[in-house]
Amino acid sequence: MSASKTVYLNLREMTEVQSQDVYVRDVGSVYCSDKTVQAKCAALKIRTIREKKEHRYVESALTVIRQMEALDPAIQVDNVGKVEFIIDYHPQKVPSLAWQWAKTIFVCIICFCGAAFAIMTFNNDVDVTSVFQEVHVLLTGREPERFTILELSYCIGLGSGILLFFNHFAAWKLNTDPTPLEVEMRLYEENISKTLIQNDSRKEQEVDVS
Amino acid sequence: MFRNAPWLLQQIILALAGASAGGIIAAGVFAFLAIIGVFPRLIGKTKTRNRILLYETVIITGGVLGNIIDIYEFPVPIGGDLVLGTFGFAVGIFVGCLVMSLAETIKTMPVITRRVHLAVGFQYVILSIAVGKTLGALVYFTHSMSGG
Repeated sequence: MSASKTVYLNLREMTEVQSQDVYVRDVGSVYCSDKTVQAKCAALKIRTIREKKEHRYVESALTVIRQMEALDPAIQVDNVGKVEFIIDYHPQKVPSLAWQWAKTIFVCIICFCGAAFAIMTFNNDVDVTSVFQEVHVLLTGREPERFTILELSYCIGLGSGILLFFNHFAAWKLNTDPTPLEVEMRLYEENISKTLIQNDSRKEQEVDVS
Repeated sequence: MFRNAPWLLQQIILALAGASAGGIIAAGVFAFLAIIGVFPRLIGKTKTRNRILLYETVIITGGVLGNIIDIYEFPVPIGGDLVLGTFGFAVGIFVGCLVMSLAETIKTMPVITRRVHLAVGFQYVILSIAVGKTLGALVYFTHSMSGG
């Protein structure tokens, strides 16, 4: 048996849990060359959530390390993950499919109208129509009839530009990068957890305006 | 020289110009929409992250259809107060999120709160902004300030 009882602890920044007992294996992963120690550490209970209501608990890795070392004085914990982490507790409930879809449709309508509105206001702002007329006169010397190939190709170009930008349609995805919206979504979540952690560490201070 | 070029060549050049304009503007306008953080916030608030691809499809169709209707001044015979009301409401929410996102991006609020050492009642500041925007929009429309 090796002398090393170093336990490597890797905690995730934010974990959603539904049970009231939160164990180490729920919020991260542990590794130890001694498998019994590893199993014991993974099954360590971090906290019991008393109130059955949605809340985000900010925890410190130090608490986890202390509890682990209390298990066995020979254990040495090496934290390779986050120092502060968030337990996002949702009491288990059956999500209503109708409500989920209602929300999705709501967001869909806003996205659809918002995108349409954004491009219309842009076209209006820069007066695309008269620019096209001028370009047509410039290039051909003739006044255009109401609609020319310019408008048609503009519409097609715009559509393909958006598709290209969003890297959409998994079947002919151009590469395996996540789409910009997915990237933005992750950034947003990252900012949320960062703010939660900072809020928590500042709770004791009085008015803070820094 | 170009003006004397054959008709087909002229058309091809025009088509190239139009398509390039469309592509670049799509990248500009929609990159802006994605970056400004309205969509992530809406998705985050409604906790419907798993449907992100659907939202993208909807944004794409909205952009393409809106553009076609705007350029070609297409008549859309599905009017009626319900459709118009839904459109207005959705656009209102969208623009409301957009202007606040813009204000947030240029850090207006943090700067002001620090300058005046605002410590309490931040929610009332936000509420005032919302009420102010609403009143401003109402005044704008009722007094026809659009210059029309």
